[in-house]
Amino acid sequence: MGAQATPTENTLPLRRADFSTLAEALDYAALGQTGCNFYTGRGELIAVLSYAELRRQALDLARQLASFRLPRESRVALVAATSPDFICFFFACQYAGLVPVPLPIPFSLGSHQAYVRQLRALLQSCRPSLAMAPEDYASFLTEAVAGLDIKYFGTADDFRRLPSAKVEPVPLQPHELAYLQYTSGSTRFPRGVMIKQAAVMDNLAGIAQYGVDLRPGDRAVSWLPFYHDMGLVGLMLTPVASQVSVDYLATQEFAMRPRQWLALISKNKATISFGPPFGYELCQRRLRPGEAAKFDLSSWRVAGVGAEMIRTESLREFARALAPAGFREEAFLPCYGMAECSLAVTFAPLGQGLKVDRVDAERLATEARAVSPAAGSRESEFVDCGRLLPGFELKILDVEGREVAERQIGVVHLRGPSVMSGYFEDPNSTREVLSKEGWLNTGDLGYRVGDRLYLTGREKDLIIVNGRNIWPQDLEYLAQQQPEVRPGDALAFGVPGPDGSDLTVIVVQCRETDEAKRADLITRIRSRVQAEIGVDCLVELVPLHTLPRTSSGKLSRSKARQNFIATHNLAQSRSHQERRAAV
Amino acid sequence: MKTYQEIVGELIAVIHALTPEVKALDENTELIGNLGLDSMKVMNLIQEVEDRFDVSIPLNVLPDVRTIGDLALKIHLLLQSHDSAR
Repeated sequence: MGAQATPTENTLPLRRADFSTLAEALDYAALGQTGCNFYTGRGELIAVLSYAELRRQALDLARQLASFRLPRESRVALVAATSPDFICFFFACQYAGLVPVPLPIPFSLGSHQAYVRQLRALLQSCRPSLAMAPEDYASFLTEAVAGLDIKYFGTADDFRRLPSAKVEPVPLQPHELAYLQYTSGSTRFPRGVMIKQAAVMDNLAGIAQYGVDLRPGDRAVSWLPFYHDMGLVGLMLTPVASQVSVDYLATQEFAMRPRQWLALISKNKATISFGPPFGYELCQRRLRPGEAAKFDLSSWRVAGVGAEMIRTESLREFARALAPAGFREEAFLPCYGMAECSLAVTFAPLGQGLKVDRVDAERLATEARAVSPAAGSRESEFVDCGRLLPGFELKILDVEGREVAERQIGVVHLRGPSVMSGYFEDPNSTREVLSKEGWLNTGDLGYRVGDRLYLTGREKDLIIVNGRNIWPQDLEYLAQQQPEVRPGDALAFGVPGPDGSDLTVIVVQCRETDEAKRADLITRIRSRVQAEIGVDCLVELVPLHTLPRTSSGKLSRSKARQNFIATHNLAQSRSHQERRAAV
Repeated sequence: MKTYQEIVGELIAVIHALTPEVKALDENTELIGNLGLDSMKVMNLIQEVEDRFDVSIPLNVLPDVRTIGDLALKIHLLLQSHDSAR
């Protein structure tokens, strides 16, 4: 093993993402010694890519991409494995005036056909001129592009064998797109978030200067996928734009060996790492007795938490379990964001940790107000997600679109320079969420207290499992693919799980009375959902004509959800606090 | 060199430890359909398999694995290519 990881200390003065484009940010980072490093789940360093080397490779590739003489802002689809090639291609697009589109890699067992269909739907949505997949996934891409109008597709090496353009390509400019992001659409009807250079640079500056207050000596570790906004913007682009070295572990390697996350932080004295709450929980659950003291997490000053509703119990357990390793609970940094805002919207103050607001659960349910609990009444708790990054404006609106008072719950609306330009070639979806005046309807519910934002749930039907967005329409569609289920026979929704993640539920109307056949239908739906969407779900069969409807006769997911919670006594398991308070 | 049948036998032992409530396991048992393994349990299983058989399972094979037999076949091929590389 000759390779050495890139150093933490740089020879270059730190600039905290104050650049006008991503290409300009990499031009500067390439003058120093920092870069990114790739580790296996067993802790071996398999690749080192300094930012200097990244720039060299990206410029070479940019000339090869330029040989296609594509119109500016043509899309380049990139199957986003955690690898140096992905980052090289992402920046090659920046230099070549082309728009990279990170696409997911398959995760689930038996998902071959489902993945190819998903990839194809994404390719049909972003209409790329070029597409690249790593060697390991090239065969899936070949299947997915069949019959599509794509100029050229292949592996990274295929592209590297192409001739170079004679002319020097012109990098993407501040008013041009930086990338398309596909985290927020359904699988069948994907929506590509369009983020301009100026938008992402504004967000990166906010993250680096205010969110995590980057400083010399910082080093990041990440296992988040590059096709996820937190992985791409937070842990790939922020480090480049701030010249910070970062150590990567592929997401699947993390899922297999989560303690490697802690080993990497210990080994390289990392200071910054982010994850959804379930990542911390997974890690803590797999910890062996007495093992915590073998890690040294004393350098970890920012343990970011986001991507789903934050519940504090499992995070506090993580902190307790890893106290012997020097982990401090104040390192937790709750934050709120979404791909439609580039990434970050709010951050809690550094060093505050998990600050909760305890409110009266009854008045929350009946008046949608978050006020101190009356003596003896049930409590709910919400985590302080902090303040808006500079540049953002916030409005919390009630159902009639009026702004609500402090501590009143409503829908979170945001405006600011980091907000997307819209969904790619989808004016209808864009109009649904983005007003002419530039206000984004997030579909998230919350309230504010002073300059702090608290999130309480979602108005939209979106389900979030382990930080991943899942659309109920996709689940209902899969259920309806079974021969005995008809359109309108299935409703899907999420109910609160113990750790803040949603439990996925599909309620299906069923004519069948034979027990064995009913059990078989449940098994088929579950395995289809597992293969296509990659989540486990609870399938409940109900008699015909029992799915709830709205007053206008439409099927109602929210009523089905309420019924389910009421009949399964789930309200009680929402949090231990509530139960304790009720006793 | 382990035979395919030996690998199936060892896999069944590993899976049985992960899902003790399921009794009847054979090469045709579907890991997700029949056992309902979620993605985290699947990754846990793959890690156990890697450590037990001392192989590295490329993750791009997972989309083509449905049954215990599918997984055993992949492991068998990996072990063969290991041996021929030595």
